[in-house]
Amino acid sequence: MSKQILILSQSHLEGTTDHVCQWMNHLRIPYLRVNGEDFFHFQNLDDLPGNNEVAAVWYRRKISSFPVKYSLKQTDFNTQYTLKRFLVDEFNGLHSLLFYTIDRHKWLNDPISEDNLNKLHVLSLARQCGISTPFTEVVTTKAAIMHLLDKGKELIVKPVSECIFLEDAEGGQYKMLTKTINNANLHLVPEKFFPSLVQEKIIKKFEIRTFYLDGACYSMAIFSQNNRKTKDDFRNYDNQRPNRTVPYKLPADLERKLDQLMKSLRFRTGSIDLMVDMQGNYHFLEINPEGQFGMVSYPCNYYLEKKLAELLHKNSSHEKEIHQ
Amino acid sequence: MSLLCDLQMRRFYHIPNDTADVLIFLQQHSISECMTHYGEDNRKTIKGYIDFILNKELGFTDNQLLPELTPLDLSWDRYSDITNVIIEYNEEINYTGSFFRELFDLHVQGLEIRCYRKTTLDKIRELLEVFNGTTLKFIKLVLAYDDTLELQILDKLVKQYPRVKALLIHSSPADNPEKIFEGSVPVIFVSSNINSCLACGEIRSSYFISNMELFTESQHYNTCLNRKLSIDLNGYIRNCPSLPDNFGHVMDTSVQEVLDNKAFHKYAKIRKDEIAGCKDCEFRHVCTDCRAYLENPQDIYSKPLKCGYDPYNGTWEDWTKNPLKHAAIAGYGLGEIIN
Repeated sequence: MSKQILILSQSHLEGTTDHVCQWMNHLRIPYLRVNGEDFFHFQNLDDLPGNNEVAAVWYRRKISSFPVKYSLKQTDFNTQYTLKRFLVDEFNGLHSLLFYTIDRHKWLNDPISEDNLNKLHVLSLARQCGISTPFTEVVTTKAAIMHLLDKGKELIVKPVSECIFLEDAEGGQYKMLTKTINNANLHLVPEKFFPSLVQEKIIKKFEIRTFYLDGACYSMAIFSQNNRKTKDDFRNYDNQRPNRTVPYKLPADLERKLDQLMKSLRFRTGSIDLMVDMQGNYHFLEINPEGQFGMVSYPCNYYLEKKLAELLHKNSSHEKEIHQ
Repeated sequence: MSLLCDLQMRRFYHIPNDTADVLIFLQQHSISECMTHYGEDNRKTIKGYIDFILNKELGFTDNQLLPELTPLDLSWDRYSDITNVIIEYNEEINYTGSFFRELFDLHVQGLEIRCYRKTTLDKIRELLEVFNGTTLKFIKLVLAYDDTLELQILDKLVKQYPRVKALLIHSSPADNPEKIFEGSVPVIFVSSNINSCLACGEIRSSYFISNMELFTESQHYNTCLNRKLSIDLNGYIRNCPSLPDNFGHVMDTSVQEVLDNKAFHKYAKIRKDEIAGCKDCEFRHVCTDCRAYLENPQDIYSKPLKCGYDPYNGTWEDWTKNPLKHAAIAGYGLGEIIN
């Protein structure tokens, strides 16, 4: 059996994978797409994709949802949640076996680094690469916040991990997004609280979303500052009045540093969030190695899905050459 | 006149050439340099242009020029050899054959199914089944009016076949735009009769579209015919139902044979920038084209016959009344449908 490109994704809600696969078909690049949902049809471990059949891996997603639902005979909220967590862990335990059975260098992004990415660590790596980052601290007391505010800084609070979405019993939905803390709302902050990440609030001229692909930066400016809804966080989408998104070219020096940062994490693709302040300075925020890139590709006409297909092809051909 | 296209918001603004000149000047110069350049007398006018740009969120002001805001790359490509298909539906033709399978395996994105005559919805459902399991995204159904085509029934149809995203019902008792499927699918009832492809090729400002796909494709290719394929009423494969040449019959032709045929691609590279009249028209990259009905049928680069716009003085006229077009109208046998 000849070696091929392996795409790990999910069967639903993954337009980006579909789009890349359509380019692969069109460019006649052979590939195997394995969705997390397919693991439920495997008979035994030998059915998992093996190292010898795989020339390159693009790890995009684990799974959208389990094709079967399980519940305990006597359920309550806590046991239901524990069961859910258990099933996720079980699935991940199986899925991540591939991280070890398929040679690490074949993965477009190092999968272990990708699955365990730590925001605080990435910020410190960025600083080591000479990239400016907003002042960031993790605090547990109102006193610490007051001290920082006294220094004239306005702060934002955001999770160290990832944002969550909550639902109440009436079906109301709550999004966790970046929030501002200032002297006006300081009274809402308790004296002591769970360790929380606070960051200096940057008054932005615009935001930048860069898709990094094999050494090249494809950037887009997002003009969200005129819109009250998206002023603090552009993900707070305004559908009536979408933010203006246009192509942008980062300074060569910053692109070089970002390349160094991505290489140090062993990522060949990923989304990078940056902010430009009113003086025109760049501030690095974070990396999303599996970030959506359709939202950059389409408005900037970058054809990133095609470029990714070509990169996978290049990597798999390279792998074949080595073994000939 | 000039056209300012907002490809993201899918809008366009028809502006005087003088305004366009000022905006182009502002790409490289500050507002104060612009004021100096055009003189104090024009200060108010220029301020008006800038306010318009800010108001429509087409730009923002800053204390410096930002060369990092690079021009949009206008290249165009698609992952399918055929992006759009028109089928002139005929109950006698088998649409499940290998030609159709191969064709839709190419990742065709859009399909228009045209029914010139009354057809039962059972027949339409049978046809729609063919596209289950393909990557086709969009189906437009053109149907002949029948009093059984109630909105409730059409609503059920589009929920069963969610690829159907638009319907046009011709020969209707009245002109009436409706919506079904929670307002997501338009159903347009029109009283006019669409009984052949002779009705196609009309250029109207209401057909203009300002978006990334059309604007970029139009820079390089013919937006009406590039990577498009049609199957006519008798099952013959064509670029468009209105064009005279065919490339074989669906029963005995493979898709690859059609794609390998040089003649099939002869219109693909005719850009608006090369067509008489269109090349000077500000609407050229938001407009589609028509190569089937031409002002001068002998000249493949001639202006579309069914366009009544004169880009040289910015006026629209009724193309059917233009005496210079009468010979071509008669030649194409369009006399009956324009009356």
